[in-house]
Amino acid sequence: MIPLENFLVLSAILFALGFYGVLARRSAILILIAVELMLAAVSINMVAFAAYLDPTRFTGIIFAIFVITVAAAEVGLALGIVLRLFRERASANVDEANSLKW
Amino acid sequence: MSDLNFDYTLLIPELILAVAAGIVLLADAFHTELRLNRTLLPGFTVLAALAAGLTSLAWLDTSDDFATLLAVDNFTAFFRVLFAFTLATVVIGSYEFVAREIRHQGEFYAMFLLATLGASVMAASQELLTAYIGLELLSFSLYVAVSLAKRDPRSGEAGLKYVLLGGVASATLLYGLSLIYGSAGSTSYAAISETFAAGTANVELPLLLGLVLVIAGLGFKISAVPFHMWTPDAYEGAPLPVTAILSATSKAGAIALLLRLFSGPLLPVKDDWQWMLAVISLTTMVAGNLIALQQTNIKRLLAYSSIGQVGYMLLAVATISDASASALLLHLGGYTVTNLAVFMAVIAFYNRQRSERIADFRGLAETNPYLALVITAALFSLSGMPLLAGFTTKFILFQAAAQDGYLWLVAIAVVMSTISLYYYLLVIRLMYVQEPDGAPAPDPQTGRLDRPNLRWRTSPASYAVTAVLLLGTIAIGLYATPLLEAADDAAAVLFPA
Amino acid sequence: MLRRLPLPAQIDRTITLGGLLASVVAAPYIVVLGVLFATGELSAPEFVFWLNAGLVVGGALAAVLLRHIVHAALGLVGASLGVAGIFLLLASEFLALVQVLVYGGGVTILLLFGLMMTRATDGPIVTDGAQKPFAFGAGIVLAGLFVGAMLDAEWDALNVTVVGFRELGIRLYRDFGIPFEVASLVLLVALIGAITIARREPAPGEDDSK
Repeated sequence: MIPLENFLVLSAILFALGFYGVLARRSAILILIAVELMLAAVSINMVAFAAYLDPTRFTGIIFAIFVITVAAAEVGLALGIVLRLFRERASANVDEANSLKW
Repeated sequence: MSDLNFDYTLLIPELILAVAAGIVLLADAFHTELRLNRTLLPGFTVLAALAAGLTSLAWLDTSDDFATLLAVDNFTAFFRVLFAFTLATVVIGSYEFVAREIRHQGEFYAMFLLATLGASVMAASQELLTAYIGLELLSFSLYVAVSLAKRDPRSGEAGLKYVLLGGVASATLLYGLSLIYGSAGSTSYAAISETFAAGTANVELPLLLGLVLVIAGLGFKISAVPFHMWTPDAYEGAPLPVTAILSATSKAGAIALLLRLFSGPLLPVKDDWQWMLAVISLTTMVAGNLIALQQTNIKRLLAYSSIGQVGYMLLAVATISDASASALLLHLGGYTVTNLAVFMAVIAFYNRQRSERIADFRGLAETNPYLALVITAALFSLSGMPLLAGFTTKFILFQAAAQDGYLWLVAIAVVMSTISLYYYLLVIRLMYVQEPDGAPAPDPQTGRLDRPNLRWRTSPASYAVTAVLLLGTIAIGLYATPLLEAADDAAAVLFPA
Repeated sequence: MLRRLPLPAQIDRTITLGGLLASVVAAPYIVVLGVLFATGELSAPEFVFWLNAGLVVGGALAAVLLRHIVHAALGLVGASLGVAGIFLLLASEFLALVQVLVYGGGVTILLLFGLMMTRATDGPIVTDGAQKPFAFGAGIVLAGLFVGAMLDAEWDALNVTVVGFRELGIRLYRDFGIPFEVASLVLLVALIGAITIARREPAPGEDDSK
């Protein structure tokens, strides 16, 4: 049997990669992709814990369903905003959206 | 199969909000077919808010739960009423603003109703998944509301920053929640508390990491330093009423969630998180108040001042106990009233002057003495002047925190309060000492001053709502007992004797 | 109109190049895994785990490193499929199906659509900021901390059991009915928000009463 740690380490690496993407990228769409990776890492964690530590109630699996739902909704909403911004100033890069100082 | 309580009457206030949001959306979509006047929308929203607030009083002094997911008790009732009050106030105070600035009014009010609903779910939840989904409902509604001022290019930009950083914060919070779930084997607060009380030796590090991530994620939502980067931008870019909701409902909801979490499931591991919250409280109140000194836009000033206020609130969460939880709820109530007073007055000012620059408040005492009075009283209250709400609630808050042993932090909080008085006084000085724009210089020969009449009137709705909030600020300052008792009752739920 | 969309040519080239690159990197990995599996070093589940873990990490690396947005999006598809495989291994078939449908299908299509509508240029663009070294350091530190914490703990792991669809349904719709309803409101908010925010507004002066 595969030890639980394998899944947890995989999820940790995925989360760190996503975090790197969020910090390093400038395009809003690429940042969204990185956020999706972070959320996928959360799902792996939740399901792994549910399968190994909580097999009778498996709350983690339910949690993962909600995480996937919210992640998809977030992409839709964020793309709507990106589209609007693009129409206003013809760019999808975050740091060209700079009329507000960070 | 276990027996769960599916008594839907417990959720009547939430159901009212959800149904009202649906009605507002459809009424706006079909307003030409139904021959409805769009001015009915804010009226209906206020009615729904009042109905939700009043019905939630039906469960005072009872303790019940819905399917062990949501608790309906004094704590929930306190926050339901607070959120409903905030919603009603903001909508009354800003309907003229919304009618002029926002094209999609139905959607706008629906977002407010749903944000209130999400915040109530957060305050009532007894379980991590429910709390998380309530938080997302609140956040999503605000992401949309922030971006809805389509005539203001700053709005979309603020929305983008808010939604991207909000997504990162959600992911961080979720990873933390997953580690807490893994360490405890359950998402129910009661079960987590039991497991952690029995010992956490074998999952020490993941739990610590989980706590760090949860605090970071929630710290983002309440805009604690160093997770506050989005706050000034979102506050500035958002339409003014949304800024008011951001600084009231969104913060109060996250504080409610923090209180539920840290007084219940995470209390057994207090040693692990207490210092983190103390550090964040320190950085938040110092950075918030110091950066506020340099702001030129009234929204950004209020953003940083609200960050400072969050620092004081975190102080009470760090020293959590029966007394400090009750003091925190009292302070939250006082802060909400005072803060809304500032925002409603600023909206009334904006309706007339179309400006958010602090410099344009020059001579307001001349042109509209009433608004100047409201802003002055509210700003004094925020900085903690005696006889006003801010003093009483802060005094009790600091006292409770000091009793729990964070005397040095309380000392810094007092110093920071004094600093905040300085930048509030700058605004007040502008309003009272300086001449309004358009006032002529005195005639050099006679020295006489021919003043044109620069006075303008506030609209009746703004007048009424600011008057109520001003009276509330003074009333809490002079006689806080009723609110204190309500806060005590609510906090007693968290710490059953 | 159709001819001006850069999609088909781009995808063609992406698939060719990506396939080439993937096979250069992935082939040795798969060969090593296959040999270990054949010699009995790895059990069948372990073999599947390492295969999917490679897919997840490889896809994620592609998603955060590649300069071309379409390539990055395809990286996300790869990572999502890998995650779905991991879910299968963890005995939750339902989640694996949902993952493939929502991520592999919905999210990626949405992202590509957003891309097509915001930047119809073909070819790599500057997508990374100057903060890259800092981000790299932060990523490494984060990964180290997380992995360390995960390995330090002693989890009292039980046996993995398959969760049936029936039990999952009861749990989801009965025990977690309230979050489910609230999630539907979240979706409603996202829907309304995306429509109202992205919709083209009539120019000032035009009649806006629809």
